[in-house]
Amino acid sequence: MSFPAGTAAARDLASCHTCWKLVAVGSPRCPRCNARVHLRAHDCVTRTVALLITATILYIPANLLPIMTTETLGVSQDSTIMGGVVLFWKMGSYPIAGIIFFASVMIPVGKMLALFALSWSVWRKRATQRHQRTVLYRITEFVGKWSMIDVFVVAVMVALIRLGGVLTIQPGIAALAFAGVVAFTMVAAQGFDSRLIWDAGAGEDE
Amino acid sequence: MLMANEQGMGRHSSLRNSTSVPKDGMELTKDQIDRQIACHECDALLDLKPLTKGQRAVCPRCGGLIQVARDDHLTRALAFAISGLLLLPIANAYPFLGFERGGLENMFRLPQAAQILFQNDAQFLGIIILVLIVVLPAVLLALVLGLVIPLIRGRNAPWLIPAGRLLYGMNTWNMVEVFVLGVIVSLVKIMKLATVVIGISFWAYIGFALCLIGAISHLDRLSVWQAIDRVSSR
Ligand SMILES: [Zn+2]
Ligand SMILES: [Zn+2]
Repeated sequence: MSFPAGTAAARDLASCHTCWKLVAVGSPRCPRCNARVHLRAHDCVTRTVALLITATILYIPANLLPIMTTETLGVSQDSTIMGGVVLFWKMGSYPIAGIIFFASVMIPVGKMLALFALSWSVWRKRATQRHQRTVLYRITEFVGKWSMIDVFVVAVMVALIRLGGVLTIQPGIAALAFAGVVAFTMVAAQGFDSRLIWDAGAGEDE
Repeated sequence: MLMANEQGMGRHSSLRNSTSVPKDGMELTKDQIDRQIACHECDALLDLKPLTKGQRAVCPRCGGLIQVARDDHLTRALAFAISGLLLLPIANAYPFLGFERGGLENMFRLPQAAQILFQNDAQFLGIIILVLIVVLPAVLLALVLGLVIPLIRGRNAPWLIPAGRLLYGMNTWNMVEVFVLGVIVSLVKIMKLATVVIGISFWAYIGFALCLIGAISHLDRLSVWQAIDRVSSR
């Protein structure tokens, strides 16, 4: 494996993932913080893709099944994520409809697509558009946790309504599935080693 | 344009202090290694140069942030953390949200919300609230205090290194600001069904969330590890 000139790896130096100290390749632990040191997380692409596939599968029940069930005077009503967005839109609460749509649909779908594309490009050792891909990766890392909004909304609603006792709200299985989607995509993004984007095509002219 | 930049690490050496970067193939001494750093995003080998206040070091290859030298970053982090510490008990021990009916208030506290969810077949939501909203932020605040106080006093402490590892490892899961927005969305939703009373803990939690985020944002990762190096080598 050759690394591009000017990188730490080309000089047999690994960077500690936790404290960024340079360590000679081969030393198992960082002398400063004692964390395990790897030159690259080489199996990271396989791991990222496996986590992404899990998240994608979970995203289907997260959207099709009810995220919560409201029960008033014996009449129960299921609501899905998109159902909630549509309801708020019709009621004229455009900002809320927008926030939920953005957090529950745009961010997770965009993030999964971006990570699939990044994994594919690294797997194919593509050497172009490194800056754009790095920026894309930074965005996926940054926005991921905002998808949790809808899960928190359900939690607060259920707790509040239980307290009130007028009507009951039951959290749906979709809330669990959706929390899983967020957790799996966050772990997938964290595990992805962006240095692999820059390793491709060492010694080749682009 | 970008391509040229990508390949041209050698050509763009003026961005780095080229005199102290030895040519490829030459063995680096331990001292030289200690004065260099690899960009954590693209692995470019860069010289570590002491920054003056307000300066930021950016990787010339990928644009990744290497270090920010903030003014009195430790003292400011401590100020945020202490404010957070004062707000934390209020955020947890006072009423968060609830209803008012016939002059009587029926409110829950934040840890109680987890309990209500637990007792009502919503265990996993209870766990999410307990772990992500009650426990983790308090632990992060404790880690900030545990790091910053010894570093300001210039003393070594046996927990500095584990605290540094835990703080930067767990901060990705810090969702206080997401929770605050989630509560606001729920309030808008529920206002249509009933009148909700907002408790003092709601405001305290928002303040606490801002203090925690403020404290951690002042703790630049590289600067903190360099500070730990300084006190532990004494
Ligand atoms: Zn380390
Ligand atoms: Zn870089």
